[in-house]
Amino acid sequence: MKIGLEMHFQLPTRSKLFCSCPTTSAEPNHNVCPVCLGYPGSRPSLNRKALEAGLAIARFLDCTIEERVWFSRKTYFYPDLPKNFQITQYESPLGTDGHFDLNGRRIGIWRVHLEEDPGRIKRVGRSGEEIAFVDYNRSGIPLVEIVTAPDLTSPEEAREFIDQLVTELRSLCGLEAQDEQSVRVDANISLGEERVEVKNVQGLRNLERALKFEASRQSKLLAAGKKVVRETRRFDEERKVTSSAREKETEEDYGYIGEPDLGEFRIGEMARNLDLKETPLVRAKRLVSSFGIGEATAKQLVLTSVALTDLFEELCRHVPPERAVSWTTGPISGNWAVLQDPAKWPEIVQIVKDDSDGRINDNEAKRRILSLAGVQQESALEGGDDLSKLISDFVDAHPEVLADYRKNPKAANTVIGHVMKESKGRHSSKEVVEEVRKELEKRV
Amino acid sequence: MSVIYDLIRHAQLRHRAFTEVVDVLDETKFHFSAKDNLCAVGFQARAGSAVLDGYRPPFDATPVSRLRRAGGQLIGKTTMDEFGFGTFSTNSAHGVPLNPFDVERSCGGSSGGAGAAACLIPGHIALGVSTGGSISGPASFCGVVGLTPTYGRVSRYGLIDYGNSLDKVGLLARSASLVARHFRTIAGPDPKDPTSCAQPALPEKGDMPRSLAVPKEALQNLDPSVHDAFQAALLKFKDMGTEVHEVSMPSLRFALPAYYILATSEASTNLARYCGMRFGRREEELNQHFNDFFTGVRSEGFGDEAKRRILLGTFCRMVGFRSRYYLKSLAVRQLLIEEYRQVFRDHDAVVTPTMPFVAPLFEEIGRMKPLEMYGADVLTVPPNLTGMPHISVPCAYVHGMPVGMQMVADHWKELDLLEAASAWEKAFDYRFPEVAP
Amino acid sequence: MCENIPPPPDRGTDVDSMDRETISRVAKVARLNLTEEEMERYAKDLDDILNSFSVLDEAPAGDSYSFNPIPVVDVLREDEPAQDIDPQVLRAQMCTYQDYVRGPRLS
Repeated sequence: MKIGLEMHFQLPTRSKLFCSCPTTSAEPNHNVCPVCLGYPGSRPSLNRKALEAGLAIARFLDCTIEERVWFSRKTYFYPDLPKNFQITQYESPLGTDGHFDLNGRRIGIWRVHLEEDPGRIKRVGRSGEEIAFVDYNRSGIPLVEIVTAPDLTSPEEAREFIDQLVTELRSLCGLEAQDEQSVRVDANISLGEERVEVKNVQGLRNLERALKFEASRQSKLLAAGKKVVRETRRFDEERKVTSSAREKETEEDYGYIGEPDLGEFRIGEMARNLDLKETPLVRAKRLVSSFGIGEATAKQLVLTSVALTDLFEELCRHVPPERAVSWTTGPISGNWAVLQDPAKWPEIVQIVKDDSDGRINDNEAKRRILSLAGVQQESALEGGDDLSKLISDFVDAHPEVLADYRKNPKAANTVIGHVMKESKGRHSSKEVVEEVRKELEKRV
Repeated sequence: MSVIYDLIRHAQLRHRAFTEVVDVLDETKFHFSAKDNLCAVGFQARAGSAVLDGYRPPFDATPVSRLRRAGGQLIGKTTMDEFGFGTFSTNSAHGVPLNPFDVERSCGGSSGGAGAAACLIPGHIALGVSTGGSISGPASFCGVVGLTPTYGRVSRYGLIDYGNSLDKVGLLARSASLVARHFRTIAGPDPKDPTSCAQPALPEKGDMPRSLAVPKEALQNLDPSVHDAFQAALLKFKDMGTEVHEVSMPSLRFALPAYYILATSEASTNLARYCGMRFGRREEELNQHFNDFFTGVRSEGFGDEAKRRILLGTFCRMVGFRSRYYLKSLAVRQLLIEEYRQVFRDHDAVVTPTMPFVAPLFEEIGRMKPLEMYGADVLTVPPNLTGMPHISVPCAYVHGMPVGMQMVADHWKELDLLEAASAWEKAFDYRFPEVAP
Repeated sequence: MCENIPPPPDRGTDVDSMDRETISRVAKVARLNLTEEEMERYAKDLDDILNSFSVLDEAPAGDSYSFNPIPVVDVLREDEPAQDIDPQVLRAQMCTYQDYVRGPRLS
């Protein structure tokens, strides 16, 4: 199965791509001006921030960046398009030939370019007779279009790809959290020789459904010895099926010409000078390779909090990574609300270091951390005794566990499970396992 | 009322120079007019087209607002060919302007009304717009001075587009000094029009051109009276101490086709927005499929020449034809710019007649085929295609009708042209029609 | 488009006459209704014009191109929201219903 995606994301700028209208949410037709309404005599001017964001994305995806780009007019007629042409970099993309690393596999990126969003149509009236009511607040919002090679191999993988891509782009350039509604995707999927395009799918859930339906539809056709017709289809959100897009009644020939009003942009230099932020998943990879921690742990860290990961890296400068991991994922993250204050970090580092160097023991270190977090001392003390007591109480009450343990060490899990549950995460699982083993061995 | 106001009314009623005029003249301000494709608050902006009937812009075009802020009163909008499509202002949906010297003859186009207003009203400054020669042509036919600045010298924000890489806002008036006075006001960068932000600053003053080049290719197919008038003018220049040399510019023959292809390609996209939504004419039933609605509005609202140019421009952009027409024309523009640059290495300006004939009679125009009409632009198109500044000044009168002479300088050298025009009008007296009281 | 399909090559230097089918297609793309008479007339006009323009074939093709006659490079606007004109003025001019712009039918 081959799947390729053409995704559109709104870039997080404060003003629109070609005019200074705000991009905040507003009542219909309140964020409008002659430019984004396509009034005669109006003309566009390019938002610097949008260009920089587009370039950052192109570089992040390892694209070849053009030295010189310009914009084109793509002419077609539709009620949501104020000028009846869209200004797009379709003919002159910011970057081409890049790739994205998806769990160790390379997904090819064919192009990254900017274009303007059209207005939003509200369909009013009976089906088959709907009237267009248009809100031009969305008209002129900057979009980045990212097109992949058909390197994805399943609907689930396609969904995961977008999830990861969005995570990265959110960190890279502040892309809004793309909720179900806001990702817009055209997908190409083929099981055999012919490609089918599914256009205008909104949201990740719909995308996965559409691809699953389409994969199943194509597979049935092929199994029956029939051919898959190369065509464009639409996804019906309600019936959850794809269907052939109606034969276009009218000719469209986009007739691309250059947009003289904007001129050209020598982006090579601009792109080379961009300082790219390290994105979460890229950082996770680096943590794995630099510190030898597990991939799952690394991902958990970066996706929880940038600052927590920063503290983790700081700790790694003083203590072995495994210790840094257990402290970070244990009591530090457990009390992050207070401990996220960077003023407390030098002390945290010192405590962990002292523990690692053997100057203080684990319990004392933990006590100090909790104290720093403002947790009351009594409960901390209880914490220490509490664990042994929990274990002894349970084993006392369930002597058969001891008998089972003599035959099979896995019986310890029963005790571990109970204690973890009762202690409500006050102790790290490693600690509980150790203590249970110690106690059981003592008694055997 | 005032003499000036009488003349304004005369220009409107007798010569149809204006689509609208003010009721009251403010005598504390200087008076100016704007071609009807320039947006101005307080007036409609219909660009000579029925498709924009009723459109009242909520903002001023930048050149209009600059003149208003400099103490000018916008006294009216001048008649024009629909969207600039024409050389005789006969493609106007709001009245065809009549030549100040002879009402049976054309004012030229597409800024015909501006030419008439500038001629009939002393002290008047008319904002015109040129794409392929629409300032020069009317200046020549109406016997006034017409300056077309370098592309990008004057902001186009608020100008209803014909061709975005070809349109320039300029000035028509009875004298070079009047034009020069207001040129600085409208020139200069405007962030709302990025193409106006590439210009170098205007120097303090211009240099009088010392050497003029006359391309021999431009002297073909001229009306004999124009040819003779032009030669006489060249002699006068020599008397003034200016050198005149013949040169060859073989690429001039590509200018007309390249111009029409680029202009109509761009125009066919600019005019896509006229579809009955948001502004302009809407007399089509909304309750039908959008393609039918759009097609209805457009077919009703656009005139004959507009349709022809939209078809031509759409064709030249289409898959399968684009390289041969649209892309080739872009290349030809660069070729011609290089050729002018070669000439400017040794000379300060290129001089030709402005138009191949004097203002034709309307009945002659009625017999012209489209291709013939396009051919009338053969002398004005080259500097318009290359975006070079040019000025047309009256240089002779033939049977009472003015003959224009056009000087072209390299990019950004408007002030040199104004020097030349100033010197010229000291040596040659302009005539203006007597207006009967 | 999910793949970079190169555009079909131009039809070369043989002059296609502007036939009725082509002009009809062009008119559809441009959203113009033409009468039979107009179709014939415009087809003839365009034919004449394009034949005359074939002199362009003699001009050399350029290798790179610019869309403006003067260089317009790197003109950018800072990302600051601002509205010069009150949108209420604009809404009042358009055909609106509850602030939405009323358009034609979609089907």
